[in-house]
This record gives sequence, C-alpha cells and structure tokens, in this order.
Amino acid sequence: MAKVVLKNLTKRWGDFIGVDNQSLDILDKEFLVLLGPSGCGKTTTMRMIAGLEEPTEGEIWIGDRKVNDDLPKDRDVAMVFQNYGLYPHMTIFDNIAYPLKVRGTPKADIAPRVQKAAEQVELTEFLHRKPKALSGGQRQRVALARAIVRTPKVFLMDEPLSNLDAKLRVTMRAELKHLSRALKITTIYVTHDQIEAMTLADRVAVMKNGIIQQLGTPDEIYNDPTNLFVAGFIGSPAMNLINGSVQDGHFVTTGGTKLVRVAASDRAQVVLGVRADDMRVAEEGQGDIDVRIYAFENTGEATLLTVQWGKQRVIAKGDRHLRKDQDDVVSISLDPDHLYLFDPDTGNRIT
Amino acid sequence: MRDNTLKYLLVLPAVLVVFATAIWPLIESLRLSFTVGRLNRPGSLDQYLGWENYTWAFSQEPAFWNSVWITAIYTVLTVALTTLLALGLAMLLAPGGRFRSGVQTLLILPFAMSPALIGVSFRFMFNPEFGLFDAFFGVMIPPLADVSWLADPILAFAVCVMADVWGWIPFLTLVLIGGLASVPQDTIEAAQVDGASGWRVFRDVTLPQLAPVLAVVIILKSIFSLKTFDQIFMLTNGGPGTATQTLSHYIYFNGMKYGQIGYAASVAWLMVIPMIFLTYAYAKFVFRKD
Repeated sequence: MAKVVLKNLTKRWGDFIGVDNQSLDILDKEFLVLLGPSGCGKTTTMRMIAGLEEPTEGEIWIGDRKVNDDLPKDRDVAMVFQNYGLYPHMTIFDNIAYPLKVRGTPKADIAPRVQKAAEQVELTEFLHRKPKALSGGQRQRVALARAIVRTPKVFLMDEPLSNLDAKLRVTMRAELKHLSRALKITTIYVTHDQIEAMTLADRVAVMKNGIIQQLGTPDEIYNDPTNLFVAGFIGSPAMNLINGSVQDGHFVTTGGTKLVRVAASDRAQVVLGVRADDMRVAEEGQGDIDVRIYAFENTGEATLLTVQWGKQRVIAKGDRHLRKDQDDVVSISLDPDHLYLFDPDTGNRIT
Repeated sequence: MRDNTLKYLLVLPAVLVVFATAIWPLIESLRLSFTVGRLNRPGSLDQYLGWENYTWAFSQEPAFWNSVWITAIYTVLTVALTTLLALGLAMLLAPGGRFRSGVQTLLILPFAMSPALIGVSFRFMFNPEFGLFDAFFGVMIPPLADVSWLADPILAFAVCVMADVWGWIPFLTLVLIGGLASVPQDTIEAAQVDGASGWRVFRDVTLPQLAPVLAVVIILKSIFSLKTFDQIFMLTNGGPGTATQTLSHYIYFNGMKYGQIGYAASVAWLMVIPMIFLTYAYAKFVFRKD
C-alpha cells in the first residue's frame, strides 16, 4: 500500500515524444484512471511505473522509494495485461500461484492463497485447466486472480476489459469496482473507454499527446471540462461543439441567429459546448431555433436526434416517447445553466 | 483426353525421375545387402547370402562398432553444442535482445558454404605450417603450440566437431530466433512483474513455450549429424586411422574403396533404423495437431 509519485516523467523515442514532462501524485489506496485516445502516452506511463519501459527523464517513486533503477520484480507491483499474459503451458492454478512461487512463498501457504484469490474472482472450478480451455472472460479473471493473489503496493491494469465483448465488459466492470473497493490497494488503470473511467475512478487523468489535459474526479471531468479536448472526449454521445460568436452577452451562431444568454464578454470567435442531455427538443417554432432532422435514432431508453445546424450537425437527446422522422423540423432550446464556452484557438475554456 | 489422364501424364516425368534416382536405388541397395556383392568379383551381385552381411557387421567387424561409437559421440556433441550456442545467440539476436538485427544477415554466411568446402577450409586452417587456427591456438594456448591437430586422434575429432558446429549454428540460430519471436511478449513481461529474475523468466516462461521449436531443431540436427559425410571426407578422411570415421564414411570406404558393395549396403540399411525413429519424431512434432 503506497502512493505513487511521478516527477517530470518524460519518454522519448528519437524525435517522438511518448510522455512529455509529466508530474502526477497518485494517493494511497486511490483508484486512478489514465484516460485518452490511443497513442496518448497512457500505456507508456503505466509501463514505466511497472519497470517495463525506461523513462528518458524524470523520477518514479513508489511509497518512499525511488524505483527508477529497480527491475520490475523489485517494484512490488502487480499488473493485468490487455492480452492477459497468461502462461499457456501452466494450469490456471500454476498461473495464479506463479507470483507466490517466484517470491519464495512457503509451499504450504500457496494453495490456500490461490484458492482464496480464485474464489474472489469465481474461478475455483477451472483451476486444473490450461488457459487455452477458458473463455475470454474467464482468462481475464485468471489475470486478475494472479494480480490479487499477493498484496502488492500497487495494481497496474492496462486496458484489462478491452478484449471482452460489450456485455461481459459491463459485468466485469462492476466486479472490478467491487473488488477494488474491497481490496483498498492503490490502483492505476489505463483505458480509452470513458465510461470505464467514469464508473471506476476516484480520479481521472485525461491524456493527449503525452500530456495530462485534466486531472479530477469523474464529476469534475464531466461537468467542468477545462478544454475542448476533454469536453469532446468525455460523454456519450460526445458534447456538441458549435462555432459562433458572443454579441451583447448572447451566443450568436455563424448563421447569425441570436441564441441564449451567456456570461461572457463579446468575442468574434467562440466554440459553444453543450451536451445532448442539456438540449430540450420541442415542436417547430416553440424553442430557440428551428432545425431539420438529419437522422432520428431510437435507443429504447431515449431518442437521439442528429439535426442539421447550419453547416454543422448537432446531437440532441429527446424524450423516449418522442417519434419524429428524417427531414422533420423540430425546435431546440439550450439550457443556459449548462453551457461551456471555449476559445477556438487555444482550446481553453472561457466560462 | 480426360482431365484425370492429363493430370497423371503431367506428373509422370517427375515420378519417373524420383523413381530412377531415389526409389530404384533404394530397392536395389536393399537387394544388394543380401548378396555377396563384391565389385571385383563377376556374378557376385546376384549371389545371395541371406543375413550374413548383417551378422558380419555385428560379430566380426570392430571397425563397424568403432564407427558406430564415433557417430554416436559426434552426434551427441554436435547436437548439444550447436543447439546451446544457437540458443544463446538467438536470445541475443531476437527482437528485444541485446544486438541489432543487422548482425543476423552476417550470421547466415557459414550456412551458405557447402559442407565439403567447410571441410577443406578447416583442413587448411589447422595445417601445422600455414594454418591460421593452428597459429592462433598456438599463441592463445601455449601447450597447443606444437601439436599437429589433424594427426592427433582426439584433436582431429574435436576439429571435426568444431567445423560442424560452426557450419550449423547460423541455421539453428535463425530457426530459434523465429521460435523466440513467437513467444508472446506479454507472458515474459507478466513474469517480470510477477517477480521472476531474468533466469527464471527464461526457465519458467520462455523455454517451455520454445520447447516445440527446440524439439524440432534438435531432431533435425540429429538427423544431419548422423549422416555427416562430405565434411569429414574432406577434413580428415576418417583419420588419423579410424579416429573420425563416422558410419557414412565407413559405408563409403567399404563400398567404394574395398568394393564390398553388398556389405556396405547392409550397413547403410542398419543406419536407417535410428533415422526412422528420428524422422517419426520429427513428423510428430511438425505435424502435430494442437
């Protein structure tokens, strides 16, 4: 059990910068998610913490020890790999027991501990099989059991759910959350799936191009994005980003329609961010602006309306009983309490 | 003409060539192994002896047993040394190993040489008067300064082993590099994080996953070592005396030099026995359903 501190961590391959001068404090017992698109440096950051990749510059501290020069085996971390990394020639029992065996755990202790870890992930009936004979979800559980069979200082999880089918992913996500609450061990979790990040994390670090864009609780990341990238990355469907300007304290579209009141001084160029949830759909003429429906989707729990807004398309969420068709005209109103304005040049939040 | 007939007509030339150069000589050698079969005695090629050639080899010929032992020791030594050295090299040269992969191209060179040529060049290099290795070992290990390598039974055997290992390392290394590349990297990394040292990662994770390729390599090399002929023929010609006379060389000498074609054929068929076992094992590993 320990906190993890990254100080000015940098990883370069020639001219390519994987992680750029990154500092981060991960608290003891915290569940921290590194979230970002592929190539953003999240996995590289985790691999450097594990010791599988050597930092070009900077320091890594686990607990009160600088581990830069320690081999992976001496860092006392446990890792779950994206492709599970199970030993194909060993039985499930031996797979789970391996971290105990190589660390010289007395033989008598191994069996009960493997049994306990297997129970925690509900795997007890498969212990004598080989990984090949297991399904993807079961292999995932073996990888988890192998990590929790010891009590390491830190858990590292590299996209552990990304190889599972959608339904299984939801089940495993809940199990992971339950397990992590029960174990209370510092966990660093890498994913590109923002729902995993939102549901699992104590704090999320959103990364892009090797730099953390925003670090905060899932609430903060969702409700208070600091820039265009975070705003666009978090949420499903993604936040609508509408180009326009601010005139007389109102947002004006590029087409010239004066819309809602915003708390900002006049500007020639702004990007308005609004989530699909924060738009109200009404009959033609009864809202702020009339728009034509480009596509109408019924997801069962809600309806999604992709509408043509000048040259842009915007997604609004409607009532689940709403029934419209392509090319119908509806009217949309924006909730003035949940709007975000961004500077289109820097991408930074204005209000 | 029906498609089927044409099909067989088209393969016929190839079948005839294989029959004339491989199958018929094989049958003929089996027949000869049961005859008196002396090249210098007219009619003896059709004079049947029964199993006498075979029993003669076992009971009356110390030279046969000598070459069996030479071949056995030679095979064990060359297989073990080549495999171990090739495995070490492959670990260094494999992706993620310590060396750049450009070295791999250089590595193939010895394998591009014909075994007979390797034999000749090693004979020259161990020549007491102008041999490069002879001089080199003389300087590096002073007690070996005045030895005549190819005139000493044990040293000559060692030189044969050395030449063979040198010639075969590249091929085995390349095969093992391929084998290592197919070991999933995340299993190795998982073991590192689980707490295994470099040696334990190799022993517990890499080696077991490399085992099928390693088995194929060992079996293949055993087959090639068992039938070694041309290299030895050029390097020592079985000498000094019979110190480096492998079975193939013994067969050649009896058949071609002494004209005892029937006897040579019977020994050749005796050599088929271990070959069958090895080939069977090889086929089992290569074509296993897994």
